[in-house]
Parts: sequence; C-alpha cells; structure tokens
Amino acid sequence: MDSLIARADALGPPRKGKHNLKSQNGTKIKPENTAHDPTLASVSANTRVPKSLSNNLDTDVKERKKAARTGRYGHIQDLKLRAHLSKMDQGHKEWQEKMKDVEMLNVGESGGLQAEGELERTWKVTQAEIKSAVSLEDAQSRAEWKLDGGPYACRYSRNGRHVAIAGRKGHVATFDWQTATIHAELQLKETCRDITFLQDHTMFAVAQAKYVFMYDINGVELHRLSSHTEPTRLEYLPYHFLLTSVSQSGFLKYQDISTGQTIVEHRTKLGTCRTMCQNPWNAVIHLGHQNGTVTLWTPNSSTPHVRLLAHMGEVTGVAVDGSSSGRYMATSGADGRVKVWDCRNWKGCLRQWNVRTHPTSGVRGAQLDWSQNGMLAVGSASGVNIFKQPVITSYHAPLANPPLYMTHPTPRSHIASLRFVPHRDLLAVSHSSTSTSPGAVSHDHFISTIIIPGSGNPNYDTTEGGDPNEGGKGRREREVRSLLEKLEPGTITMDPEMLGGMREASKVDETLVHRKQSRLQRLKETGKADESEVPGDEEAEDEENASGPLDKKRKKKMRGKDRSMKRYLRKKRKNVIDVATVSIRAKLDKQRQEIKKARESAAKKAAGEDVTERKSALDRFKV
Amino acid sequence: MKISLLQHATASTSTGSGPPPVQRNLDPLVHPLSRARERKRALNASKMERMFSKPFVAAFEGHEDAVCSMERIRGQLGCIASAGFDGRIIVHSLSRRDTIQAIHGAHKGKTSGLAMASGDRLLSASHDASIKLWNLRLPNTDDENDPLDLESMGNDDREDRMRVDEPPPTDPDTPVMVYQGKVPFNSIHHHRHLPHFATASNGVHVWDETKSAPITNLTFGGSAETVDVVRFNMTEASVLASVGSDRSMCLYDVRTGKAEKRVIMQMRSNSLAWSPTMPSVLLLASEDHNLYTFDIRSLSTPTQIYKGHVSAVISCDWSPTGTEFVSGGWDRTVRIWKEGDGNGKEGQLYHSKRMQRVLTTLYTMDARFVLSGSDDGNVRLWKAHAHERLGVLDTRERNSLEYREALKQRWKYDEEIGKVLRSRPTPKAIRTAAQLKRTMLDAAAEKEDRRRKHSRRGETNPKAERKKVVVVTQD
Repeated sequence: MDSLIARADALGPPRKGKHNLKSQNGTKIKPENTAHDPTLASVSANTRVPKSLSNNLDTDVKERKKAARTGRYGHIQDLKLRAHLSKMDQGHKEWQEKMKDVEMLNVGESGGLQAEGELERTWKVTQAEIKSAVSLEDAQSRAEWKLDGGPYACRYSRNGRHVAIAGRKGHVATFDWQTATIHAELQLKETCRDITFLQDHTMFAVAQAKYVFMYDINGVELHRLSSHTEPTRLEYLPYHFLLTSVSQSGFLKYQDISTGQTIVEHRTKLGTCRTMCQNPWNAVIHLGHQNGTVTLWTPNSSTPHVRLLAHMGEVTGVAVDGSSSGRYMATSGADGRVKVWDCRNWKGCLRQWNVRTHPTSGVRGAQLDWSQNGMLAVGSASGVNIFKQPVITSYHAPLANPPLYMTHPTPRSHIASLRFVPHRDLLAVSHSSTSTSPGAVSHDHFISTIIIPGSGNPNYDTTEGGDPNEGGKGRREREVRSLLEKLEPGTITMDPEMLGGMREASKVDETLVHRKQSRLQRLKETGKADESEVPGDEEAEDEENASGPLDKKRKKKMRGKDRSMKRYLRKKRKNVIDVATVSIRAKLDKQRQEIKKARESAAKKAAGEDVTERKSALDRFKV
Repeated sequence: MKISLLQHATASTSTGSGPPPVQRNLDPLVHPLSRARERKRALNASKMERMFSKPFVAAFEGHEDAVCSMERIRGQLGCIASAGFDGRIIVHSLSRRDTIQAIHGAHKGKTSGLAMASGDRLLSASHDASIKLWNLRLPNTDDENDPLDLESMGNDDREDRMRVDEPPPTDPDTPVMVYQGKVPFNSIHHHRHLPHFATASNGVHVWDETKSAPITNLTFGGSAETVDVVRFNMTEASVLASVGSDRSMCLYDVRTGKAEKRVIMQMRSNSLAWSPTMPSVLLLASEDHNLYTFDIRSLSTPTQIYKGHVSAVISCDWSPTGTEFVSGGWDRTVRIWKEGDGNGKEGQLYHSKRMQRVLTTLYTMDARFVLSGSDDGNVRLWKAHAHERLGVLDTRERNSLEYREALKQRWKYDEEIGKVLRSRPTPKAIRTAAQLKRTMLDAAAEKEDRRRKHSRRGETNPKAERKKVVVVTQD
C-alpha cells in the first residue's frame, strides 16, 4: 500500500535522478535521447504537419512550464488554470511577434509623390504631368467620360474593378472599366438618385424615383423594394448582407438581401436626408441632415447613438476614414466648412477649414471621400483637393486651410460625387458644368478618373473580396463563405471589439443566502477568491503612464486603502464597541496620520523648505 | 518630382481547374468586424458539432437475457467478450460486427464476471458458484492489419475472414478448468502479471490459476458481508479494492493478505475502477446517482463528485487515457465524463429507444469507442466523442477540424455558443426525472436554509457536499 501511495504522483514532473536507470547486472543504462524524434523530421520535408503537431515541435515543454511558474500567472494555485492561462498568454505574445513580420509579407508597393527639391510642391503636379511620368497602362486609367442624363452617382465594387453609375435622369450602367466591357446599361426614364453594388458586381440596387430596385448583372430587374419609398441614398453593409436606404421622408431602412426581410425602419424625425455613409469598421450608418446635425445609427436602437450638431447649415457630405479603424469622420456643410472629427470624442472637431461654394449655381457645400490609405478628397466649387494624414487629423485650432497634397481644378462645375477606387491610385470625380452660350444653356456631365498616387492599398486580401482578378469560381466560393459568416444585425455596435469581452459585474445582492450567491461572491466570502491584481502587459502599462492627471489622482486615492480592515469595520455594527474594533480603529487612525505627515513633508520638500523635524525630549520614549 | 503608382504583388489569374489563387493581407485594418465574424464561425462550428453528433455505431445481438459483464480481449483491439444472465459467453468482433466465438451454456445462471487470464484464456465467474477457464479461438492477428477498421465495413469477404487456420487443441466449448466454490460469485478480476485472480462472493478470495481452492481469504475485521465488485490495481498490482453491500469500499494488500483500509459511505457502491494513469485514483459508481473519484491517500472526502445520472449508477470504466470515463445507469443512459468536470457539462449522454437498464460499460483500448451492455440483451458500440468523424482525414480536413475545435474552446464562454455546445438531446423521461430531482434537492436545501436561519448561530453550520459522502474511514 505504501508503495502505491509512493507511486501516486507518477505523472508528476520527472526528477533528474529518475533517469539514471540501472540494468539487472548493475551497469548504468544511458537514457535514450527523447528530445528529438528523427522520424518526425523525415516526413516534415514532404508533407504538411498538422497544426497541433507542429505547435508541439517548436516550443519546448520545459520552457513552457517554467514560463507558467514564473510568468504573470505564477501566483495562481490551480495548476491546470495556470497552465491554460499562461499558454494563452504565450500564444498571444507569439502572435504579437509574428504580427511584426506581417509587413514583410505585403510585397505590393504603395505609390506616392515625392518632392525632390526645396521649391517643388506636390500640389503643383498636374494630371498631365503624372500621365507622362507613369507607365502607359497606368496612364490609360486617367479617363474622362462625357455623358448626358444629369449629374451622376458612381460606386466601385470592393475589388475596384467594376463601376456602377446612375444618372439623375435615369441612365444606369455597370461595367468593368479595365477591359471596358459593359455588363448592363439601362434607360430607366425616371429620377435615379443613388446606386450601389450588393455582395459583388453581379447585383446592384438603384434608388429610383419611388422605390429601390434590385437588378442583376444583365440589368434584369430582380426585386422592387416597395417599402423603401422615395429613397435618396443607399449603402450596403457587406458583412451583414444589409441594404440600407434613407428617404426623403427621413426614414432609415435596413433590409436583409439574403432573406429579403426588412430588419428595421428608423424614423429620424429630421426631415429629408440627402447624405449618408457607413463606417466600414463597425457598420454604423452616419447620416447628415438639413439642420446641420450628423446622427449615427445601428439597427438596434430607434434613437441615434450620437447626435452631433456639425454645421450651421445643411450637411452636404459625410465620410469615415476606414484606414484608421473608423476613427475619423469628415463632414462638410452648406456653411462652406469642412470639419474633421474624432469618433471617440465628440467634444469638438479636430480641424476645420473653409472651401469655396457657389450657391447661385447650386454648389452649396463640398463632397467628401476618404481613401484606403487615409487621404481625404474634398470636392468644392473650385475643384478637388486632396489632403494627407496626419495634418487633417491632428488638432489645429485656427481656421486655416491644411497643406494640400494634390489638387485638380474642375472650373465652373458642380461636383456630384467623389469615389476613390479600391486598391488603385485613382479617384472618380463626377462633375457637371453649365455653359451659357448666347441663346442656349447646355449642361455637360462628366465622370473623370484622376490619378492620386499613394491613395490605394496595394495589398488586397482575397478572402475580403479585394482581388481584382477574381474569377467566377473564386467569387462563388467567397459568396458561400460570406453567407456562412453572415453577421446578425444585432451585433452592430459602436465598439466592434465589445463582443467576447467580459460582462460588467452585476450588482451584488447581500441578502442572498450563501447557496444562492454567485460563484465569485461565494469565493469572496470564504476568502478563496483570487483578488491579486494581474500585472498588466506592456501596452496597458504604457497607457497608464500616458494617461492624464485625472487617472493619477484616482490611482493615488486607491493607494493605502487597507481593504480588509475597513471591510471588517464596515461589517461590524457601529454602536458595538469591542476590543477588536477599537484596536483596528486606532491602527487605521495611526496609518492615516502617517500618510498625512508623509504627504506634508513631501509638499514641504517640493517647496524647498527644511523638512527635518525639531527633536523633542520625549522622542526617546517613541517606539 | 518622383511619381510612382501602386504595384500589386503579382498579376495572379485563376488558370485551369485548380483552386483560385489566394493572396492574404494580415493587417487587422483590412479585416473589419473580425471578432464578430470569428464568433460567427465559432457558432457555426458548435452547431456543426451538434449536427454531426451521431454516436451510435452498432449493436451486437446473441444474448437471450441481460448482459451483465464485458471484458476486453488482450492484444485484440477489436474484440470483446460479453456474458449475461443466460449463461452464455460471446466473443464479438467490433470491426466485422459479428460473433467470433459463442459458448452456449457456459454456466447455469448469471455469469457475473469475466476476466482475461494469462494467454488467450478467459475466466468466467457465475452465480452457479463456479469459475471456469476457457480457451479462446481468436482470429490470427497477422491477417488483420487494422483490427478496428470500422470504415471498411462494406466490402467484407466472409469466407476469407472466417477461416480458422488450424483446429484448436481442445474443444472450445468445454472449459479448460473449473474452480468450484460454495457460494455464488459476484465478480472476478485477474492479477496484472501473476497467475492469480480474485473473486468477490461472501468475501474476497484470491485464487491461483493452477489450484482448485482459493489461496487467500481477505476480510476486514471479520465482517461477513457480501462483496459485489473486486478490482486489482494495474500499477501496484498487489493492491486490491472491493465494494460490498454493506456500503463499504475496502482496500487489501494481497502480499500481506490483510485488509488495509475501509470506508463506509452513505450509500452502497455498485462498481469500481482504478484509474489507468493515476495509480492512486479510484472511481466509484454509487447507488445515490453519483460517481465519486477518491484519492486513496485521503479517503475521508472524494476528490470530485460527478452528478448527472437520475438513477443509480451501475457500472463505470476509465478510458485508457485516464482523462475520461464512462458510466452506465439504471436510468437507461450511458454517460461519458471528463475527469474533473463534476456536472458533466462537457461530457456526453447516450441513450436509445430500445436500450434498457445499462448493467455494464467498457472503453475500448484505443479510447475512441465505448461499449454498453444492457437489460435488453444487446451490446452496443458508441463513439466516445459523439461528433468524431471516423475514417482517414487528409491534412486540410484535419486542420479545419482543429481550427473548429480551437474556435469552440475559445468561444465556449459566449452565452449563445455555450448553449449550443452544452445542449444534449435528452429523452423526456430523463428530463422530467432530472427536473423532479432538482426540485426535491432545491426544496431540501431551502428547508435547510430556513432551519439554519431559525437556529442558534454556529449550531448548524453548512456541510460541504463532499464531506457528506463518507460516514467513517477505518484502518
């Protein structure tokens, strides 16, 4: 029985002495070297090892165990929990290490303009100069299409290959602009206000005079969404399969295009809305209203999450920066201002400046769009101006124009929409000019693509639908995958990282009996809860150090708080005087005095006064 | 002025019938809503797990009455022997799903225990007060490359497989040896390496294979209670444990021939199993619907209580890995438990319409399957992991399986995903019984709370559940 008990921990950590095996005739047997198994290495050249095995190969078990003992979770008694937590921690650290190398994997090269001399300015470069400097193929992407049928709305597919345009008078077309093949061309003979592609270029939706209509790649009408009446703007949320429209009556509607179900209709109560954009990072819809407010909507709340008075007139343009995880928003208004906002803090805009408007010819405010690399295009009466980060997103109090990156004049014309082409250094500008020759007024409408070096992200991801050369097979496969991963409309939140986080601790009900309390509460009551604070990782510590004086104050407040004694006093009834409470009160008083004294002396020291105390004759009796 | 435009990495185009080319950009900014999408993938993975959970593999007929004991055949991964109340002993082939050998009328009355003896021989103990030693007629292992190849079931060429190379030396339907006792035997277990075996009847007896009378009688302090189950420890082979009808669990040392320790519990135990990897860990299946693991170094409290059955637990067996075990109950269910998971949230619950009271359960040596023998006279084969895919996996499939497992592990604390992962199809009878049991336990606890509230402080302190189990430990 004793030998059994001695063997009880057979699976414990092997001790060094155990390895010195002795054979029957007394000679020592050398333990076999088990660290490296050559058979595993022999196959690894010719086959892919499953992940579970390869993980075991490259990390040493001993090191992992040591890390668990000494790491940030070393204080945890439960061995399994400790091992699990430290394994997760280790994995996170490895991931962080590997993410540093991710940059190297992105082999595509970004474009750019670089001034070579002191006197050169990037904004002086014209499209003609760029065209002559780049390759023939790239130069061809600078184009100008003259169309008739009203100012045009245009939209690119997610891989930047296909474009959909909708003229105000009903001319709708989708085409592949690289090979110049038209997919569909329709003359709808009614007002078309907006157009958007759906999950890929094979379907698109048009905001027409009365309703929203869906068409397939050949221009065949698939659906009439009659619940979306008099739509003005459309947005498509690709991960949720939601088509959103905002109408002249001020309704924001969400419709699931995979099931056809209308998810929710929000009444904005702010009248006709002509400006809408989505935040690609968290799928929140931003609306700009006639009274100058910008509101942020999700399907989960019938009131806006944010209501912001951005301008003194109508809001004419809203755009959200996708390159900075949806952190910055730009708005433009009929008051002739462009403002850049930080979406985490709505106290005031980061930067604002004036643009030229021309109210008599209908140019009341600017049009906006952010590129994939964080460039902001502002289209006003004078033309298109491009600004680069970080000058527009850093705080700047006076009303001064930020330094330009590029500019493209479109004289005497009105810009209807601006769209950067994904994964390309291109910007599509839809503008219309009015020329008055004696006796006749003629309107010319253009869609011109201008080259903006450095605006696009060269490294696309196939799984996100960014591949410009995607074939039919890949597209279909991706469609199936994205349908499987379709997100619920309920998961749209302002903070997309909220999912999978910890829920806030519920209020503790102290009247409950021990048996009915929560586990944490019970552990706390029995003194078994692990209340030691986990030493934070470097990032968190950095953040703490960088935080302002407010945080410091709070931190100070916590220090010196003897929780256990205070809790004890709190639990004891105040009118009962016994030895224990008296002594604890005295102890706490003493502590408080000491802290006060120390603080005073520190303050004196800081003020340059002498801190040495005058000695008293009674000091010798002090303990 | 330097002017440059962006350059994509390569102009990759899909050619031929191969998979479309893939280019990844791992920058998190390119993947918005990645956390929500990962959660969705985890939810899909957990739903797939439930969808593919079809654990039942096969049923083996042959017994005319309840099956009450089973034994793994040594050296044969795909073979087990079963015995029942009808006195038959049948050796089943799990891979072929047929009978290798059937001994009709092996005993008159219930064959209560089977144990592998040295060599290809099987011991059977019975209520007819006899123990018999049988020669097994096993298939030649050289012919069978993959003994538990359940996938190749379709193409069976019977004549080829059923051939027996040479006639056995003796008639397989007559025992090699008969050991006659005076009282019915309840259980039998063989020593790990010596030619000894122990039986449970009105006491614990240790026998030598070559002798017709027991060599040792083991009792604790002269108690004359009936002993139900007896098991040798596999690591420290001379230690023996038994459970008896006097609610006791007793430990003996065969070398000294003395009983070492005894524990009296609140309710009697029906079965007993030593952990194959932790030599000091012992599993008891108790009449009070629970299973208990004990560390024999401190027998006063169990290390873990496993609650879930809604009726008495009749049998239990450890997985060869020692991380899981299987139990069969009077409530007509087979349950698989993860070691340390006391409420069985991560385990499995198997049932079928026709399966009656489960009297015996067994893990196969590869830890992938469990067997149950029940009152309806069938032996059933189940997968140990209900959603496991049988058959060969290629690397891509295996990787995606591993990814799905990792996703489930990571997101199991999510409310919705956890709900899917924990859901087990439960027959209505079990569900109502569980609800009734819950109500009764809650009422009892409530009553206890009230009583405590109205009694003097410190007089009735709550007692931990684990400390209620053992009545007394004796040395």
